[in-house]
Parts: sequence; structure tokens; C-alpha cells
Amino acid sequence: MKKERSRKYRIIQSLRILSQTVFFFLFIYLLLGTHFTGEDYIGRVEIFFHFNPLIALAMFIASRTLYASFIFAAFTIIITFVLGRVVCSWVCPLGSVHQFFSFLFKKTKLLRPKNTQDKKITWKYYLLIFILVSALFTLDLVGIFDPLSLLYRSFTVSLFPALSYGFDAFLGFLYSIHLSGLADSLAQFLETLTLNSTFRQGFFIAALLVGIVLLNISRERFWCRCLCPLGAFLGLISRWNVLKLKINTERCIECNLCNIHCETQASPFPQKNWKSSECIYCYTCGAICPTSAVEFPLKSEFEKVETINLSRRKLIFASLLAVVTMPFFRISPASKRASPKLIRPPGAIPEEKFLQKCVKCGECMKACPTNALQPALAEAGPEGIWTPILVPKIGYCEYYCSLCSQVCPTGAIKELTVEEKTKIRIGLAWIDKSRCIPYNLGTPCIVCEEHCPTSPKAIKLVKTEVLLPDGTKKTPAAPVINTDLCIGCGICENKCPVVDQPAIFCTSIGESRSERNQLLLPLIKEVEGSYK
Amino acid sequence: MKRRDFLKDIAVGSLFLNFSPVLLTKEKNLPDLTFVQGDSPDLIAREAIVSLGGIERFVSRGDVIVIKPNIGWDRKPKQAACTNPEVVKAIVELSLGAGAKEVKVMDNPCNQAKRTYARSGIAAAAKNAGAKVLFPNPHRLKKLSLKGEWLKEWEVFTDFIEADKIINVPIAKIHSLSRLTLGMKNWLGAIGGNRNQLHQKLDQAMIDLASFFKPCLTVLDAYRILIRNGPQGGRLSDAKLHKTVVAGVDYVAVDALGTTFFGINPQDMPYLQLAYKKGHGEINLEKLKIEKRTL
Repeated sequence: MKKERSRKYRIIQSLRILSQTVFFFLFIYLLLGTHFTGEDYIGRVEIFFHFNPLIALAMFIASRTLYASFIFAAFTIIITFVLGRVVCSWVCPLGSVHQFFSFLFKKTKLLRPKNTQDKKITWKYYLLIFILVSALFTLDLVGIFDPLSLLYRSFTVSLFPALSYGFDAFLGFLYSIHLSGLADSLAQFLETLTLNSTFRQGFFIAALLVGIVLLNISRERFWCRCLCPLGAFLGLISRWNVLKLKINTERCIECNLCNIHCETQASPFPQKNWKSSECIYCYTCGAICPTSAVEFPLKSEFEKVETINLSRRKLIFASLLAVVTMPFFRISPASKRASPKLIRPPGAIPEEKFLQKCVKCGECMKACPTNALQPALAEAGPEGIWTPILVPKIGYCEYYCSLCSQVCPTGAIKELTVEEKTKIRIGLAWIDKSRCIPYNLGTPCIVCEEHCPTSPKAIKLVKTEVLLPDGTKKTPAAPVINTDLCIGCGICENKCPVVDQPAIFCTSIGESRSERNQLLLPLIKEVEGSYK
Repeated sequence: MKRRDFLKDIAVGSLFLNFSPVLLTKEKNLPDLTFVQGDSPDLIAREAIVSLGGIERFVSRGDVIVIKPNIGWDRKPKQAACTNPEVVKAIVELSLGAGAKEVKVMDNPCNQAKRTYARSGIAAAAKNAGAKVLFPNPHRLKKLSLKGEWLKEWEVFTDFIEADKIINVPIAKIHSLSRLTLGMKNWLGAIGGNRNQLHQKLDQAMIDLASFFKPCLTVLDAYRILIRNGPQGGRLSDAKLHKTVVAGVDYVAVDALGTTFFGINPQDMPYLQLAYKKGHGEINLEKLKIEKRTL
């Protein structure tokens, strides 16, 4: 028999690689475009998320609300229903990353693909069940495991900052070898990109990404094959699709190449073992088959196909695990009393709802012009890990900016106009008189007042008598805060010359979104001449 | 050429260069300050420079010019926190018209540079006029000896040092520490380092910086002045339409005239008093020849 690889499937494979490249660069383009571009309003740079049915579903279950933008997720569901998990290998940018590294590891012989029937492929279904059952109890963990959230977060919080550091070092090198003309233009270009370069958990989040990329050494596309909950979800709904594998038994020489090189252990051979829930339609089997025996004809009649073998016992166990785990997320003090450091971006909805909707993707952190938004560690409790908090020591909330609210894909940060945003209070500033320069040294310093963006200013300078170490008295103008006007933007803390531990600092109290985290009852303020 | 001849030439040449502008000024009987009022910021800025003797008095063919507006804050022109973009545009066009090789416009703002440059309208206006608008680049900071009375050395953007001429284009605003921010305070935007510590002795810092940068020309934009909530303002009512531009070589004198827009006597401004006493410039307005025009 004539041995010949299928030309058709090799072309489709090339098209698939092209599509992956296009979507990956679209992802990079949109993410790089998530910053202040000269206009107050930014386009729909977060559009990728709205095609994600897993986020839509988990958020719907956890918060019991629908968010209209996720209408596009229906498109993904329909595509998967008709064509199978094509999204995984033709679109998903994290999938492309894994495929690229799997390819690299194969080429470098770090990964030697073998024909395995590994049970690990079921993990992702149990993880999916765990996430969805948790969501039933209002605990939304989808952001931690969702491939898009994971990718966006990793790029924003660790990859771009590292790149930015590298560019800066390179600039320094260019200047040192007197190529200042080139360095100048490059520096100006980089400034226009606003690659936020400082993130508190950058190293940790990078390590996680590197970890899941290195897993590809053990199996091709390990993440997609064994862990991805979105892949699992798409797998479950792909059962009835029209593209079914068919092996031409007359041509097949039973070489097992298709099984060995299958990216996701869909077991093309023998045909009865092929699992449509695992196949991502990368067409590697079709292209690699030495006798063109593998085909994906449009299905003419219903055929029973092999389904993934999930153990009912383990499914129940995963659900029970979610039920049992859930209370442990809620025993943290974070849900009892607001943390002073939990300053949420302007427009953030009340904390309980916020945690149900935030998918920890870091879009807001990418958009923030001052690098102020940082991934939380423990401030919001264990379920709030990597949700955005404003850290004034790193950046401040820019008065006329509402970009974070515009790019939030889930409405955890409610979309605001610039006008609406200036009226929102995210916290309040407090003066640490024991560290403030005028209060202690009698020396003038008006930096906090000068930077205060509200009009009238929330920081007033009042002549205050202070006692100096030598016993003499001085009356410098010292800052005093009007809590009615302060919006908690944190620029005072950010610019305070007492750099290590600023003498003025912001805490979350007074935030507009919270009923309980307040200083004064509103009814006290309304009465004329009352305590205020 | 012999060494002796060369030295002689240099001596003669420098003598000529030293005295010729003075001689020219005397000859044409030019004013010390020009004060022009009118409806168009662009036209009054041009007129102020023309009546001061024209841009050619300051800009020579082939010069690299750095224009330093105040682009400190993320505010729009109507809020009067940054220099009027049309004034900047007029000076860029005049300088290029006089044969300047390159005109750079830059500032080291308090808010994010990209935002202040865009929203103040200055980046677009200056770019359209043909200037190179530069974001402050930390790699270009260099610690230099300022030889000031208080500031001995500080990190300065080398763009200002490498330029042939510097033109200061501040806006007149109220300020809680120096009372007003006019031309001399504007130099805090040409430096890096821990600028927020200069406020502890701001008056002296302003004098040290102004005498270090020595602009060849100061054009004070008072088209809109900020009368409340300085130096950022915010509400439109914090700004006042004053429709004025002042130009002059003596940067102390420009600031002195600027104080009168706020109903303040220059003698009551501590930093101007100090600058006057140290001989940096004139603050007694009656001793200055001020040419006033209205368009």
C-alpha cells in the first residue's frame, strides 16, 4: 500500500497554527492596549472574557446575576456544540502557549510523547465540579483556575513587568555605549505603552505560570489535557458535535503514531476509543498519519462515541469536597470586619458581591495608569486572593480616570464615567502626626496638600503650634484632613516625603460601596449644626 | 593660527558677545517687560515676544531650544493648572520660524506624564507646531553641581543642559507654600530626585534652580490664572480669565509683575524679596520699563 501523509490535514494543521498565532497576538494587542491612550474612554479590550462560558456560568451561579456582556459566551457554546472543542486549539491563547512549549520540549527531547491511558485527564472534570459546586455556595473560585484569567493575570502581574525591567536594563546598556539616539526613541516609545512594572506578587504568580508551562515536559499540553476547567466544560458539551474521527481501517497500519502524538489523549486509535470530549481538533493525528488513514468527515448519522469515563464516586467526592471546603474560606476575619488595607478600585461593588464577580484577571491592574492596583494576598480573605486592591505606597487613584471600571469584564467594578468616578470615595486619609514633618520638625512641607486633587482640597493647612526637641515652639502650617471632602485616592500617601512609612496614609473606612465601613452615620451629618 | 592669536580672538570675541546684547538693547531701547492683553492666547503670546524685540533676539539659526511649560497636572486647559497650549504652540512656531534646528518641549509632571501631556492639550499643540514633545526619561537624569546657595547638587534632566537656549513658559497660579507659582517655581519640573523634599526650604530652592537654568526668555501665561485651590484647581470657578501674557528676560521681574495679577505686592513675596536681595533681578516695578499693549 502506498504510504502517504495527508496533504489536506497538513494544510489544516498549518491553518490551525496560523489561527493560534493570530489569536495570541490579538490577545497581546488587546492587553497592551489596556492603558490610557489619550482618551478618557477605552474600547472593549476585555472582549476575550465575554466569550468565556465558564466564567459566565460560575459567576451566574455564584452571584445569581446575569451580566449582559457575556452574551458572546453563547457563541462559544454553540461552536463547541456543533464543532467540538475547536476553541481550545484554534483560539485559546493559553492553549497556544502550552502547545508552543510542548513543541519546544519535544524538539529538545525533554518530552518524549508516549502512548498512555492516563487517568489524570479526568482531573479537570473534578476540578470543574468543585468550582461549580463552590459557586452554588456563593464562593467563586473560577478566576483562580480559568485559563484566560490565569493568562491575563500572569502577563499583567509578572511577564510584562519583567519585560519592562529588561527593557530598562537594555536602555541603560544603550546609554552606556553611547547609542543615546536609539535609546531616547525607545524610552519614549516605552513610556507610551505604560507597562506597569511593580507588582507585589509578581514573582509568585510568575512561578505558577512557569510551573504549569513546565508540566508540559511530563505530557503534551498537560494543562489542557488534565487541569483546564474550561476545557472540561467545553468537553462536556461537545459530545454531540458533527466532526467525528473516522479511521480508515483499510489504510491503517496500526502504528499508533496518532495515539502517541495526540495532544490531549483523545485516543484516536482504535476508533472506538476516541473521545470527542478530549479531542481539541488540532489535527495532529490527521497530519502525522503515515497512510492518511485518519479522517474527520462530517457526521452523516448518529454514532455512539466513547465518553470520558468519570467515576461517579469521585464526582460525588469532588462535590462534597466543595461543600466541606467552603466554610474554611469564610472563617477568615475578612468577612467579619473590613480590612483597613482593603481599598478597592473606584466603582467596586459591595465586598460580598465583589468577591462573587471578580475573576482576578488583573485587567484593572493593567489599565491603572499609576500601577496602584495590586493583587491582594490576605487582605480580602482566602477567596479574595489576587483581587485588586489599591496600594497607595505604590500608586494612587488618578482623579480623572475611570479605566479600571471600564475594562472589568464581569462588572465587579461597575463601569463609571469620569464624572461619576470623581464622586466616589474609596477610603479616607489619616495623618500620622508622630511622623509628619511640620508636626515634628516645625519645618514647612505642603506636599500632601499640594497633590490633593479635589476642589476644594480635602487637606487644609492650619497653623499649628508644635514643640521642638529643644523646648522652643514653632507654628508651621500643618496638614489637617476634611473627611467630608477626602475621597481616599492615596496620592497624599504616595507623594509624602516620609517615604518608608508615610506620615499620611489611607484606609478603607468611608468607602462609598460599604454600608458598615463608615465613620459617621449619614443621619448625623444631615442635621444642621450637629456634631460634624 | 598661533596660540596667542587664538587666545586674543577668544578674548575679543567673548567681550563682544558679552556686551553686544546690552548694546543692542540700549540701541533699540527695548522694554524690560512686555504685558499684552487680548482674546487670543496665541496672538498675545506672539505680540509679547515681538514687542520684546522679536524671537530673533533669543533664538539663533541652528539652535536647539528647550521649552519648559508647566504640564504638571492631569487637567484640561480651562482648569488653568497647566500652561495654555496655544501659548506653547506660538513659541514653538516662532522659534522654528527663527531657524531653530530643533525645539523640544518637556516637563516632569506630578501626575502620570502621558495623562498630563495629553489632557493639558500641550503635547498635541506642540507636536502640530513642529516641536519634539518628550516624556521625562529617568535615564537622562544626571547629578550636576548647581552651585546654589542651598542646593549644591541635584539630578537634572540633561535635555536642558544640552540645549542652546531654554525658554520658560509657566502659568500663573496660586500655591499654598510659595503663595504663587510663576516662573521660578516652574524649574521644579526640570529636575528629578526627591523633589518633594525641596518644599522644606522652597524659596531658596526656587532661586537656586532658576539661577542654574537661566532661561533666555520667560513667557508667563496668565490667559487663565488659578486663583483658588492651587496648584491644581479643579472646578472651573477656581480659574479666572485674565487674558494676559507677560514676557521678559529678567525672570525675577516677570514673576514680580505676575504677583500683581493676584493683588499681591511683589515686595510681600518672600522668595522674590530674597531673589532681589541676592541680586538675581528687579522686583521694583517702577524701576522697570514695561510696555503694555492690548490686542
